[in-house]
Amino acid sequence: MNVRIETIGQTTLVIPEGRLDFGSAGMFEKQLEQASPRKATAPAAVIIDCAGLEYVSSAGLRTFLLAARSAQRTGYQFAICGLQPPVRDVFELSGFSRIITIYADRAAALTHAPTGQP
Amino acid sequence: MRGDAAQLPVLTHFLRDFWSSADLAPAECTSFELALEEVFTNIVKHGTRPGSVSQVEVSLALAADGLTMTVEDDGPQFDPLSLPTPDVTATLEERPLGGLGVFLVRQMMDAVKYQRIGTRNRLSITKHVTR
Repeated sequence: MNVRIETIGQTTLVIPEGRLDFGSAGMFEKQLEQASPRKATAPAAVIIDCAGLEYVSSAGLRTFLLAARSAQRTGYQFAICGLQPPVRDVFELSGFSRIITIYADRAAALTHAPTGQP
Repeated sequence: MRGDAAQLPVLTHFLRDFWSSADLAPAECTSFELALEEVFTNIVKHGTRPGSVSQVEVSLALAADGLTMTVEDDGPQFDPLSLPTPDVTATLEERPLGGLGVFLVRQMMDAVKYQRIGTRNRLSITKHVTR
């Protein structure tokens, strides 16, 4: 799995590509942690754009849960977007689609995030 | 093969090779890949005695009722179907960090059956596939 990080204003965009499985979840968890705000003094957001994510298992779901909790604790927005059908299925079956904010695509997610753009 | 997490990609390749040679619909492979990962990683976590690594055998059989994947290991008795069902309506704070793997497999597959045969655990997972 490859991960790219982009910053738009106060919003961090995390873009994983490939498979988020038992083998890659540990690395992804670390990358997410490093990319996330330590403290939220101003409105901030982390968005994970999953458009390039082909596969997620329970090991991968765990990293999303950790990231969402960390956002809630620290006080920044957290959302994911662009879920492909196999990944969407896993989010729905696990009930994660009820506890994590999901947008259809990156553009929709960014309209709700502090990007410094109107 | 050894019940070692590093072997997971080898098993996934085996499944995909079977999938393409049997000419099955590619989109339907994902649920079996997930089932294989969840079951295999459970064996790696639960099915190993101290100082020894379980041997795991995976077989695939295509029949009229669908594809059956059988995963056998020689580890301690462990019935993954005995694990509690997670509460998928729990809040973000309440959700435990684990316990979803077997639940996902049961949701995605048509039938999941556990048997203890002698000193071996056998889990059979069946789902209809499009040919």
